[in-house]
Amino acid sequence: MWNSRTDYLYVAPAIFVMLIVIGYPIYYTIELSFFNTPASLSLADKTFNGLDNYVTILTSPIFWKVTWQTVVWTTLSTFFAFVLGLGAALALNREFAGRGFLRGLLLIPWVVSAVAASYVWKWLYHSDFGVIGALMVQFGLTDHPINFIDNTTTSLYALIVVNVWKEFSFAMIMLMAGLQTVPDSLLRAAQVDGASAWQRFWHVTFPHLAGVSTVTVLLLAVQNFNSFIIPWVMTSGGPAGSSDIWITHIYQIAFGRQRWGVGAAYAVILFIVMMVLGYFYVRALTKGDESRAGA
Amino acid sequence: MAQVVLKDVVKNYGGVYAVNHVSLTVEDGEFVALVGPSGCGKTTTLNLVAGLIPMSGGTITIGDRDVTDLDPKDRDIAMVFQNYALYPQKSVYRNLAFPLQMRKMDKAEIDRRVQAAAKTLDITHLLERKPRELSGGQQQRVALGRALVREPRAFLMDEPLSNLDAKLRVQMRSEIKRFHQDLGATIIYVTHDQLEAVTMSDKMAVMNGGFLQQYDSPANVFANPVNMFVASFVGSPAMSLVPLTAVSKGTDVVLASPEGWEMPLSDANGRKALSAKSNKVVLGGRHSTIQVHKAQVPGSVPGKVYTVEPTGDVTFAQVFVSGAVVNVSVAPSFQLRPDEPVFLEFDQNRMHLFDAETEMALTL
Amino acid sequence: MSASTEAAVIHRTGIDGWRWFGRLFLVLLLGFTVMPMLWMFITSLKTGFAAMQYPPQWWPTEPTLENYWRLIDPTSSVGQDFLRYFWNSVWVSTLTTILAVVVAVPAAYAFSRFRFPGRTFLFFAVLLRNMFPAVVFLVPLFILMRVLGLVNTHGSLILTYLTFGLPLAIWLLKGFYDNIPVQLEQAARIDGATRFQAFFLIVMPLSTPGIIATSIYSFIGAWNEYIYAYTFLTRHDQMTLPVGIQRFFSENATDWPGLMAATFMMSIPVVVLFLVLQRYFVRALTEGAVKH
Repeated sequence: MWNSRTDYLYVAPAIFVMLIVIGYPIYYTIELSFFNTPASLSLADKTFNGLDNYVTILTSPIFWKVTWQTVVWTTLSTFFAFVLGLGAALALNREFAGRGFLRGLLLIPWVVSAVAASYVWKWLYHSDFGVIGALMVQFGLTDHPINFIDNTTTSLYALIVVNVWKEFSFAMIMLMAGLQTVPDSLLRAAQVDGASAWQRFWHVTFPHLAGVSTVTVLLLAVQNFNSFIIPWVMTSGGPAGSSDIWITHIYQIAFGRQRWGVGAAYAVILFIVMMVLGYFYVRALTKGDESRAGA
Repeated sequence: MAQVVLKDVVKNYGGVYAVNHVSLTVEDGEFVALVGPSGCGKTTTLNLVAGLIPMSGGTITIGDRDVTDLDPKDRDIAMVFQNYALYPQKSVYRNLAFPLQMRKMDKAEIDRRVQAAAKTLDITHLLERKPRELSGGQQQRVALGRALVREPRAFLMDEPLSNLDAKLRVQMRSEIKRFHQDLGATIIYVTHDQLEAVTMSDKMAVMNGGFLQQYDSPANVFANPVNMFVASFVGSPAMSLVPLTAVSKGTDVVLASPEGWEMPLSDANGRKALSAKSNKVVLGGRHSTIQVHKAQVPGSVPGKVYTVEPTGDVTFAQVFVSGAVVNVSVAPSFQLRPDEPVFLEFDQNRMHLFDAETEMALTL
Repeated sequence: MSASTEAAVIHRTGIDGWRWFGRLFLVLLLGFTVMPMLWMFITSLKTGFAAMQYPPQWWPTEPTLENYWRLIDPTSSVGQDFLRYFWNSVWVSTLTTILAVVVAVPAAYAFSRFRFPGRTFLFFAVLLRNMFPAVVFLVPLFILMRVLGLVNTHGSLILTYLTFGLPLAIWLLKGFYDNIPVQLEQAARIDGATRFQAFFLIVMPLSTPGIIATSIYSFIGAWNEYIYAYTFLTRHDQMTLPVGIQRFFSENATDWPGLMAATFMMSIPVVVLFLVLQRYFVRALTEGAVKH
């Protein structure tokens, strides 16, 4: 539109802040990943050790275990959050009394702090006095309360439930907005053409949701991959690393064991993974941008 | 009111020229229409006059002031936008008052002027409403009013009628014309609709591809288009263009069709045809200057009826002549059927000849 | 999770079946959503003794607000700590929100209006920032804060929150500016306004809903943030609620009713803010996703 030099003044503050707080750390993380830095984090004493940090990571069996758990965590959380969100969006996509109230209620988990959510669920899962265990006994599902989070086989899945609880409503509002873009006339036309409810969903509604679904799934995946609070506050990745995922693992290595170099190398590998995901993310977003510009 | 002079005005984005060395003078009190197809540079030209985008070259003066480097606010112009651009959060009154407030006018004077403008445009009863509560025509009036209150040196209008329905458009057209006559205002008016330009303006500037093609009164543009673009753009239905070959036959000159027929030219037209760079010539004729015959008459050329469109007082028809489509009109009583062979007689005094290579009109 | 088999059965029974399935689904989902919150609240009304029972008391036999009184009693040490954390959270979140809006408004406006070289690149840089987890930035930022002498200050949090909030704030606001026709500003400039006046008098008032939405978003984000606060703050008088509550918990390991009361209190500001301004919030959030 305009092209004068003052245009940059509008974005300068934002760019300046981001350069300091984003650009510099990225550079620094890369640098640290090639050094051995003492636990005290006294930078003067760091020594160059080439790719040692990377070798340490890639040859460690824990790396592969944590990677697998991260994949399970990200995939299942994303899948169930999306499915529940889609179901809720479809169920709420009809005018009825109290719809706004219901939407608000369903969104509360997404608004409250993950720390609060973690404590509440920790209490729900409590091995002796947890309401979930008590309810299961009440309904005759088990004889005595199951300890979900202090158990190496169930801890990861117990946390996934919490995570889905926390974020399914995000998928819900995104998809609700997407549903509003489905033209009524198309749905009516399909009805006139004799399409069943399911066929209308599959042939009319769903294709319209494709764009927003892609963005939602990508956002959820990125968010889940980057999760920290729920696993950290609830189990700290335990017991015996059974609920450890990448981010908690990196935190443990860097701040728990002060192995800064290894932590940084982990972060760099994560960068690379995120760049690949980011490529698809940006592509999904720009695709929408172009179609809007064309409209 | 003031004269507006554009001198060698250029706007380019890299190698793309939106406005390519345009010069034109709008006299004080004149109504000038900038007309052309979309993307021709007319709106860009208007925005340059307004100062909304920086110029790449040339100068613009309004009155005795060179405004080339001035901000829009300092150019003392008013503008009416295609989408009206009324401030949605302000009432009609506040919309009208805004330009005066920006000029730090005192309250009583603002009120006097707003009331006067509202009275002129018959929108006094709407003053307390918000723009979204108004119909399209009412919004249009408010937009005009906002331009009017300030008594600017020139009015710029960017397709102000194109968002209105057909009936309202005709009504507003005559109102804007009245507005121009009553105020003696200098108006630069952008439109893609050549009919609007022809009916409203004192002069029209026809633009295409960033170039100013012709700048003259509508009558002259209609009668003497300088090139094939202007010829086919102005007038409805458009001027028909038939590519032919000029051939000298002794002292006579004829236009020859690849189909084999020949059309003799008058002495003057013959000399025009021979002045073309090559012998490739395009024959142009408006429907009103072409006679349709059922049988061959001297000087007529053969064609075949394609479509027939009766409109009531006149019947339009499209006729294929030597591969080109020619628009003709006949009296409703004159029966034509699709695929019927007919013979067209072009008026030698009112036909147009263009050089096929340069697309320029051939003149003596 | 027997949704697929249910769906298959319902499919044959047509529209009514779908509707019933939808209702059932909603009820179950509502139970799933509300049950934890409800249990949090019920627990917070119990005494420590009543909470530690098996089978649990479904409703406290002697409901008490004691746990809440203790948290807001400025004479008890628990109350002092809690109020201090609460105040720290309010302070940090408010300041972050104000700064984020001040920086994001011009940036979003520029992204929406100007076509300067690198604009696309910048915008995607903004979006990509969302992709990287806090942990990646933690060590270098920790060092940076140490250099700047900001460790254990609220300044360290505000600076980082500002940054992680900024890309989204710009994105949200840009959506709003995109919807304001550029002709409005052009009209204003012709009407005698400077570029800044056109922005300030015409565009700003129109983007108020966007600014409100962005503010809530920034506020909630800062209020709930944990990882930076957890890393940068070690002095407990500086702690914000999420970190402070953790400390509170580790020192009173078995006081579940107290903890539930604290999480309840901590959730109130954001939930109230969200419910009151839900309309703006939802619109802003989805605007970008649906349109971009």
